[in-house]
Amino acid sequence: MSRILLASLAVVAAASHAFAQSCAMCGSSFGPDDPVQRAFSWSILFLMAAPYTLFGSVAGWLFFKYRRTDRRRASVVHLPWASSRPAGETGGH
Amino acid sequence: MPHRVPVETAPPVSNTRLAMIVLVTGESMLFAGLIGMYLVFRLAARTWPPGDLPRLPLGITGANTVALLGSLVPLSRALRAVRSGNAAAAVHGIETTAILGAIFLVVQGLEWTRLVEHGLTLGSGVYGGAFYVLIGCHAVHVLAAVVWLAVVAILARRGAFSAARHTALEMCAIYWYFVCALWVVLFPLVYLY
Repeated sequence: MSRILLASLAVVAAASHAFAQSCAMCGSSFGPDDPVQRAFSWSILFLMAAPYTLFGSVAGWLFFKYRRTDRRRASVVHLPWASSRPAGETGGH
Repeated sequence: MPHRVPVETAPPVSNTRLAMIVLVTGESMLFAGLIGMYLVFRLAARTWPPGDLPRLPLGITGANTVALLGSLVPLSRALRAVRSGNAAAAVHGIETTAILGAIFLVVQGLEWTRLVEHGLTLGSGVYGGAFYVLIGCHAVHVLAAVVWLAVVAILARRGAFSAARHTALEMCAIYWYFVCALWVVLFPLVYLY
């Protein structure tokens, strides 16, 4: 398993900027610093970030909500003499 | 010796709230797609809006934004009132929110009528198309939320809510918060940027 991981890391590390090439259409249709190319880049970045941000936020909120509830439940201490007392009775023993 | 026992069995997040979160997340992705479309057109354009098309009315839309965001106050108060057991006091807050939402829609409709008269239509290039699709989609959501608020207001008048039972109001409030939060993003993007 670690060999596969190491091999994957080596491949990624060895990868040069050749991986960071645009698709054929963007590469040939637009000149350098073209506004359309820039617009697509920003839009792609935004649309890439949106689902991760949304689902990350929801998952994070659910995680903390459940963890806080678990802590609150765990902090409640059951007192045996309190439950054996008749309902409605208050005050000291 | 004291020992720990679970005293609550209800889940931390109710099923209805979870369903609402799923709905709102899905709707957010719809708007993320539309905003992505708008960004492509906006950033690629050399002049925005195109010179031959009318500018968007900032003043009236700004006032409309205040009305929409102001509607959050009575709704939050209504929610607090119901949670504290004063359901009768919530009716007024829900109705005020619905009325403010309706005002937002009417003003936006009038604004659109004026824009169409000045030549900005759905077919006015990418500017008109992007504007009407993005803002129109939001308006449809506001309309749905206003109808929902009206139904909830009727239920509240009939005394359907109590401190222990007010899920319909809570879900409606979540949707209304979502619609208002969307406008906080859309207004600067479309009208100010």
